[in-house]
Amino acid sequence: MTFVRLKLRLIANGLRGQAWRVVLFVIGLLFGVGFAVAGYAVFAVPGLLGDVRVAGALIPLGGAAIVLGWLFLPLVFFGVDESLDPARFALLPLRRGTLILGMLAASLAGVPAIATLIATLGTVDATARLGGPLAAAAQLLGVVLGLLVCAAVSRAVTSAFATALRSRRARDLATILLAVVAALLGPIQLLALAGAQRADWDRVADVAAVVSWTPLGAPYAMGLDVIAGRAWAVPIKLATVMATLAALLWWWSATLERAMLGAATAARPSAIRRGTPVAQLVLPFLPRNRFGALVSREARYWWRETRRRASLITFSVVGIFLPVMMAVTGGGAGPLLLFVGALAAVGLSNQFGYEGSAYAANVVAGVPGRSELHARVAGYALYVTPLLIAIAVVVGAVTGRPGVIPSLLGVLVAAFGTGLAAVLPISVRGAYALPDTTNPFALSSGGGLAKGLMSFGALLAAVVGTIPIQVAGHLLGPAWLWAGFPIGVAYGAAAFVLGSRLAANWLDRRMPELLAAVTPR
Amino acid sequence: MSLRGLVKRFDTTVAVASLDLDVPAGSFYGLLGPNGAGKTTTLSMAVGLLRPDAGQARVLGYDVWADPARAKRLLGVLPDGVRMFDRLSGAELLAYHGLLRGMDPVTVDQRSGELLDVLELGTGNRTLVVDYSAGMKKKIGLACALLHAPRLLVLDEPFEAVDPVSAALIRDILQRYVAGGGTVVFSSHVMAVVERLCTHVAIMAEGVIRLRGTLGSVRGKRSLEDVFVQVVGGRIATGSELAWL
Repeated sequence: MTFVRLKLRLIANGLRGQAWRVVLFVIGLLFGVGFAVAGYAVFAVPGLLGDVRVAGALIPLGGAAIVLGWLFLPLVFFGVDESLDPARFALLPLRRGTLILGMLAASLAGVPAIATLIATLGTVDATARLGGPLAAAAQLLGVVLGLLVCAAVSRAVTSAFATALRSRRARDLATILLAVVAALLGPIQLLALAGAQRADWDRVADVAAVVSWTPLGAPYAMGLDVIAGRAWAVPIKLATVMATLAALLWWWSATLERAMLGAATAARPSAIRRGTPVAQLVLPFLPRNRFGALVSREARYWWRETRRRASLITFSVVGIFLPVMMAVTGGGAGPLLLFVGALAAVGLSNQFGYEGSAYAANVVAGVPGRSELHARVAGYALYVTPLLIAIAVVVGAVTGRPGVIPSLLGVLVAAFGTGLAAVLPISVRGAYALPDTTNPFALSSGGGLAKGLMSFGALLAAVVGTIPIQVAGHLLGPAWLWAGFPIGVAYGAAAFVLGSRLAANWLDRRMPELLAAVTPR
Repeated sequence: MSLRGLVKRFDTTVAVASLDLDVPAGSFYGLLGPNGAGKTTTLSMAVGLLRPDAGQARVLGYDVWADPARAKRLLGVLPDGVRMFDRLSGAELLAYHGLLRGMDPVTVDQRSGELLDVLELGTGNRTLVVDYSAGMKKKIGLACALLHAPRLLVLDEPFEAVDPVSAALIRDILQRYVAGGGTVVFSSHVMAVVERLCTHVAIMAEGVIRLRGTLGSVRGKRSLEDVFVQVVGGRIATGSELAWL
């Protein structure tokens, strides 16, 4: 109980005094409510239809998807809530059991947990309509246990990862690997969906039946078993779920101990490198001046800083797979390329947050906003430009029309430039601090969902901003094939110039405020 | 450096309340105060890292907030509790700072080499600053602040977490710097260091300066520690409360 109160107090203190945080929190809350209502509705539909077969397929699969979501989403997108970091309790005389139960309870007292609970209660609704109160009771039990499994799995996995990765090198490597896996999830899901569209109902039902026996689907299948007259299966599934829960909690508590010990820093052998300091810093093809130094530092950071490298990897996988998937399944890749180009720009939406208070060095040196932003974009473009070219070439090759490659690239560059125009001002005004922690997955300290929305807004603005290019493509018809590249590049460049000028003006006036915004507290 | 009427509020608490401070050129100025006295806040406002709610900060005649480019060129800063671009190696970090200040690359190379050598950070060492020990981080931070030969050095807790050998080295470098005509302002709560180094001290508590002057006039015949405790108003002896200890 104390833990729950602590968590609520942390949320409340985080909101105090800052209007924009309250706004973001409310938006996050609205998304949570939206998820809860939509989930409830979807799960309740089979009950309203009176269709047991649909329920039998939808409920276990949907439930399993939610559990998987709890497993991966915190790792990949929002970062686990650091507000109750076990290391902070290391010195308090708490028994481990108390700590585990307390942190579990605390993680239930959040928007995602409550939204999940409401959404899955839809299955109780459905089973009540299909099988009466007994089925509903069994399902209710399952839903509550399912929520516990969700919370335990996300906590246990992040804790385990965090402990295994205390050394910086191992951590860096693992973040990258995880980013690759996570980025591949999307394409795999799309493949599965494409497969599902072709498969018939019986196959889906078979899959659902199997899933309902795994720990992923078992909590959500209990009510269904009662309906189907397999009441004997309920205790077995109950045992499965309880065993899973116990195993997760045990695993968590085993890793927690090491997590509480904190980071052990191991010195690593240092290689000797020749060359003067300037030659070591500045990339060979860049001028040896302030701009060259800024660009080189950015370029090295995109490679050496794991959060940045992970975001680059995610983007490259998404950027290549999405359009290819669309092209293969016969849809037009054009609109999607706009999205991909804009997505590339979104990588910079919290560019100042990545380095945190280190930005003080640039403030003290008085770097003008224009050089700062242009250098950052240039450093990022060193990685993104080859990627955009690769995407255009791959999409052109897959669709079997190599002639369209230049115009595809034009569209990508236009979207990237427009995206930058939207993202750069946001990166100055909407910067927020990333926690200064040893947990490689930590991206936020509470209210992470809300912060992600800012990037989403930038993405939306960028896609809307590129509509003229799309219209031009349609109007010009065949001429677009050769005109697309120059027009796209010109459009992107113009948008970039406008956006970066606005952002640079803001930056010049707000350097100390920006520094305060990105400094973790 | 001269600060006039600096005020900074955080939400409802007043961190610095209308603070005036004059640091004569060529002095070695120690800013003393207990934790939370507002030392870091004051120095951050003086060097342009934190915008004051009111007041003025001038560095060698240039207003830090009205004419930042001129003022910042003459300033070298070692902030405390602030990260560096720590995914660079020591040499890379120095080169970055030098080029950022618009220095000529040849000079940057020469001075960085000397600094790395003198501070015993290893000229060919590729270890990233993130993997440095606390003392090494302070030393590379100091090197970055010194690289462009500023006229005024502002150091926040330069001796925190530094081993005695490195501390002696840093003291020596700073003394040479002042002897060469530079001005140093630094915050600390290590009395021994302040007594040994400073020409001037100011004692700060709860956002205001309680006592200031040359070391001799502030200290009088007592030890600096006694004066400090008396001025700040902390209790130094226990009564009957902790009898169970």
